Amino acid sequence: MPKVIFHHDNDETDVVESPDGTSVMKVALQNDVAGIVGECGGQAMCATCHVYVRDGYLDRLPEISEDEEEMLECTAAPRDETRSRLGCQVVLGPDLEEVEVDVPTSQV
Amino acid sequence: MTVDTTHPRSIPSADWVTIPDLYADPYPIYRRLRGEAPIHWVPAVNRYLVIGYEACHTIELDQERFTADETNSLMKRSMGHSMLRKDDPEHDIERKAYGGVLRPKAIKQEWTRVFEQSFATYLGRLREVGPGADLVKEFAAPFAAENLRVIMGFENATQEDLQRWSQTMIDGTGNYGDDPDVWAAAERSSHEVDVAIDEMLPILRDRPNGSLLSVLGASGMPLEALRANFKMTIGGGLNEPRDAVATTAWALLSHPTQLTSVVADGRWSDAFEESIRWVAPISMYPREATRDTELCGLHIPQGARLGIAVGAANRDPDVFVDAESYDIDRPRKPHLAFGGGNHFCAGAWVARASVVNVALPGLFRELPGLRLDPDRSAVCGGWVFRGVTSLPVLWD
Repeated sequence: MPKVIFHHDNDETDVVESPDGTSVMKVALQNDVAGIVGECGGQAMCATCHVYVRDGYLDRLPEISEDEEEMLECTAAPRDETRSRLGCQVVLGPDLEEVEVDVPTSQV
Repeated sequence: MTVDTTHPRSIPSADWVTIPDLYADPYPIYRRLRGEAPIHWVPAVNRYLVIGYEACHTIELDQERFTADETNSLMKRSMGHSMLRKDDPEHDIERKAYGGVLRPKAIKQEWTRVFEQSFATYLGRLREVGPGADLVKEFAAPFAAENLRVIMGFENATQEDLQRWSQTMIDGTGNYGDDPDVWAAAERSSHEVDVAIDEMLPILRDRPNGSLLSVLGASGMPLEALRANFKMTIGGGLNEPRDAVATTAWALLSHPTQLTSVVADGRWSDAFEESIRWVAPISMYPREATRDTELCGLHIPQGARLGIAVGAANRDPDVFVDAESYDIDRPRKPHLAFGGGNHFCAGAWVARASVVNVALPGLFRELPGLRLDPDRSAVCGGWVFRGVTSLPVLWD
């Protein structure tokens, strides 16, 4: 099963397996991973599922849509021009069997 | 070996709660209820009131167990069947039709100058009335109404029309007493909105712009759904930013040390977010249980009418330290004032842009010595919708 590896600020790590079609935001919410809020349920509307995707996975992600782009300008923690994504827009599947992300220290 | 079975407790009944008490000040009631359980049956409002943060948040994220499509909904009667009372996928189709109209890019390109124009107009009106003016009546309400009028595309209406439509249809949505005069006023407004929409649609088809009516008119949304969504947006798009302006101003004027910090460091966003946590403009909204289920150890029967009291959840001491206080320096935690999940407020960024970036900093910049009128107290009211309804202010 695909998996997401969440790295936290305190050096703790959550490794969570989840079926194809699940977004990184949903994986976090369904498994009580700290630091991901996901207020709007995945509509790219709230910028509270911000993650920094680690090198090595970035080229497997879909393009940043216009909706995601404007939300990435509204994140609580500073945006990283190459690594910042919304967790709700990063979806596990055949093209993304595994992804490793750093969870920002704040979402609100 | 025996298998543990869960035995959910039955929900306690709170027959001592009355609507007038809730309207006057719901927070002492919530404090008393909270000591016993996160959900209570409240006969006076004919609902199970859900007051715990975790319970409210769980319900928001679970439309399978807790539908937004409530039976005998007063909102449906007052405004028609909008997406606010639908679940996905039906809700999602209508939500997507709103497109980018209420999102940050359009706000920056089109609406910020509208907010600035409205601010100038109604600051002028406030000054004309002079010290002692009611900040709600002379500024917050017309400011919110005029912004909404332009965003929605009502070139054929005034901000006063928007205020009347919003209030009467919201009164219908909250008409638990089934008052025929309230229904008559709501129906009159509903009809006026239909006429205004019908008049504007062909005009905007010939001359499209960035307004909500122009975008929805071109989206293929059926007219009945368009009308219902428009009425819901008139309701939610006016009273909430109005109340957020007034309640935040009142909170800051009542907490001078915090006001000093906000002004010195431009912390208008902190002031606003804490204000809507403290007094959520939409404090309660309905859901309905689709099956017998369990939540926070309590048994909820199928068909149960639930009142999701986010105004109470936002003061849950399990989540917020010293939750009853207005404190811009509290540890930042997500509040539920904009709702959560698929029904997360579509106007959240419009509210933030108009209130945080324009109205609040502008008022405190342009009115030196802004302060509460010592002779006339601010008036607060409401529990379904709650805010400062009158705020007499003085300035130098």
